Amino acid sequence: MIELEVDIPWIASQFSELTDLQPLAKGGQKLVFAAKHADEGDIVLKLLLKASGEERLERELLAGQLVECDRVPRVFETGSLATPLGECIWLREQRIQGMTLRARLNAGPLDFISLLRLGSELLATLVQAESKRIVHRDIKPENIMIDQSGNFWLLDFGLARHLDLESLTGTRLQFGVGTLGYSAPEQMRNQKREIDGRADLFAVGVVLYEAAMGGNPFLAGARDQSEVLRRVEQQPLPRLQLHGDRNGALADFVSALVQKFPTQRPRTVAGALTWILEIETAYASTTADGRTV
Amino acid sequence: MELQLQFGYGMMGHCRHLVKSWNGGTVILSPRDLDESQLVNLAKEIRALPGGRVLLDPQFYLPRSDHARLTSHGYWPDSYQTNGFFGGPGMASMMDDVLKLNRDVGSVAFVLPGLLARAIDDDWLGTLRATAEHAATMNAGMPLYSTIALNADSMRNTSGIQEILAEFETMNVEGAYLLFEHPNSDYIVQDPVWLANAVELAAGLRLLGMAVVVGYANHQLLCLAAASVDAIASGTWLNVRAFSPDRFRAADEEDHKRKTVWYYDPSCLSEYKLPYLDLALRAGVLTGMAPPPAYGSTYAALLFSGVQPSSVGFGEQEAFRHYLQCMMHQAAAAKGATFDATISSLRKMLDSAQRQAESLEKSGVLAGTRKFSEGFDPVRSALISLELTRGAMLRRSW
Repeated sequence: MIELEVDIPWIASQFSELTDLQPLAKGGQKLVFAAKHADEGDIVLKLLLKASGEERLERELLAGQLVECDRVPRVFETGSLATPLGECIWLREQRIQGMTLRARLNAGPLDFISLLRLGSELLATLVQAESKRIVHRDIKPENIMIDQSGNFWLLDFGLARHLDLESLTGTRLQFGVGTLGYSAPEQMRNQKREIDGRADLFAVGVVLYEAAMGGNPFLAGARDQSEVLRRVEQQPLPRLQLHGDRNGALADFVSALVQKFPTQRPRTVAGALTWILEIETAYASTTADGRTV
Repeated sequence: MELQLQFGYGMMGHCRHLVKSWNGGTVILSPRDLDESQLVNLAKEIRALPGGRVLLDPQFYLPRSDHARLTSHGYWPDSYQTNGFFGGPGMASMMDDVLKLNRDVGSVAFVLPGLLARAIDDDWLGTLRATAEHAATMNAGMPLYSTIALNADSMRNTSGIQEILAEFETMNVEGAYLLFEHPNSDYIVQDPVWLANAVELAAGLRLLGMAVVVGYANHQLLCLAAASVDAIASGTWLNVRAFSPDRFRAADEEDHKRKTVWYYDPSCLSEYKLPYLDLALRAGVLTGMAPPPAYGSTYAALLFSGVQPSSVGFGEQEAFRHYLQCMMHQAAAAKGATFDATISSLRKMLDSAQRQAESLEKSGVLAGTRKFSEGFDPVRSALISLELTRGAMLRRSW
């Protein structure tokens, strides 16, 4: 496999409208840079070698453009670029200043109010995706950013599936795309007929659990990937026990999201959003000493 | 949760009597046991009673049945080919006839013909869908209920149960009529997976907004109240208190034999032969076996008059009516104001029943083949399973 090398001066010369080009991430045949744009401010530039995952990046572009949402980075421009290694496609998008949820969780779990905010903002974004028939398929703390105002952003639609387009994952493959320990059982098993927005709900449930407790029981201490898969398929997440969670409302919500079969989860992302907003409203109307006002 | 009356052999009088005495009720008519004119006449009588309603179960579980009366009905196809019947003119013609019969009897819903699932596979699911899709084009003028008849093996297929639920997500019906074959012909089911799947299927359907009626039920399925089921249906003989597909395969000679009379003690969910009530009298524990006055079962009053129970003339009629009267009250009381209250109340009922049954056993009062002792734990287990999988959503939607 050809791996893209980081030659920042050369890349900078190809994007003269950008300044302060800095490498952000590098994975396989994908390069990600931070830079500044005169009109757009802080941006992210992504490059992908065309021969490898062209369709995936195109899907990412499509998904990002379709999911018009306050909490998904805006795509400013896309194009292609001839490099010494071959044709690349690129996209320039809004850069979110802040830290990933993963980095934030390294400092400890979120408080109850932040958990509710994480859940409701993530689901509000996914409702937009659902309305466009898009499943993100890679929700995890690494793909969620917290900006300086405490807003939660959903990144990286690179594995997104448009339910009306032909799947890019081989139907006969035993395992589907996603991240073990977060992806739903039906997604891991590549049971495409069963994959819809409820696969994302499963991952949101796992992320909320991890954000509340500081760890992911599907991953903690697992010997190998097959053990993670076994846990995801067979082991229920323990019920959340949180200070401030009156009547176990959030615990109930998370337990519904992480059910093993999609038919056991809320039927739609929109339904799940309504549910968590109800919890937020009920919590907001409760005084600190537990009385309802 | 409503108790409906599952029609079976010799139930005409019981249906009339109970619906009248309950000031309403639903009878599920059985073409196996009644010809067309009897169906229409009984339905007319029931509907003439205040609150009287009927449903018609077309009992098309086994299309190749040899049961003479069942297959003599006008809607039963003269020839049945596995391939092409559903989705073809054969099905359309049968459905027209079943709908006509439903209209003739004045059904409150159109229970669609459904095959017994020997396996929950694409063929069976396809038939389920084809039937519902065709029914949706018929302008039935009444709610459509799909029949889900599962054999004992299918009842253990946990992922298959979810496939049924996935199918219902996009089916244009208002309800489901569920029939669960008991494993090993057990009256009281001892398999916790069977029971957990029964509760799971019912709960999943209710959460999809479906009306759910579970046919051929006995007191073990009072636990379906936790799944927010609308109604369970029961009847007189065991063969209408536990779904047995064999009854619809060929004529059942057993029906006409005289059988033992059993007394149902609702407080311990077990049934006793009369000689054991005599023993209970002698041991001084009989009064504890009387139904709570609130149940209004006068049918068993003589058993507790101080005379030897086996000598008071408590016969089949009284035993059946007593059972159904108690079940009607227990079913109505089983569903509480909240999911948690319902679960808690069911657990209390089980704990109390187990204590009572064990106490009677210590006095030598044994329920024999109709004891519930092997049924307690499967029900408890099913309730825990329901809480873990559906508790959050049922709690919210109750």
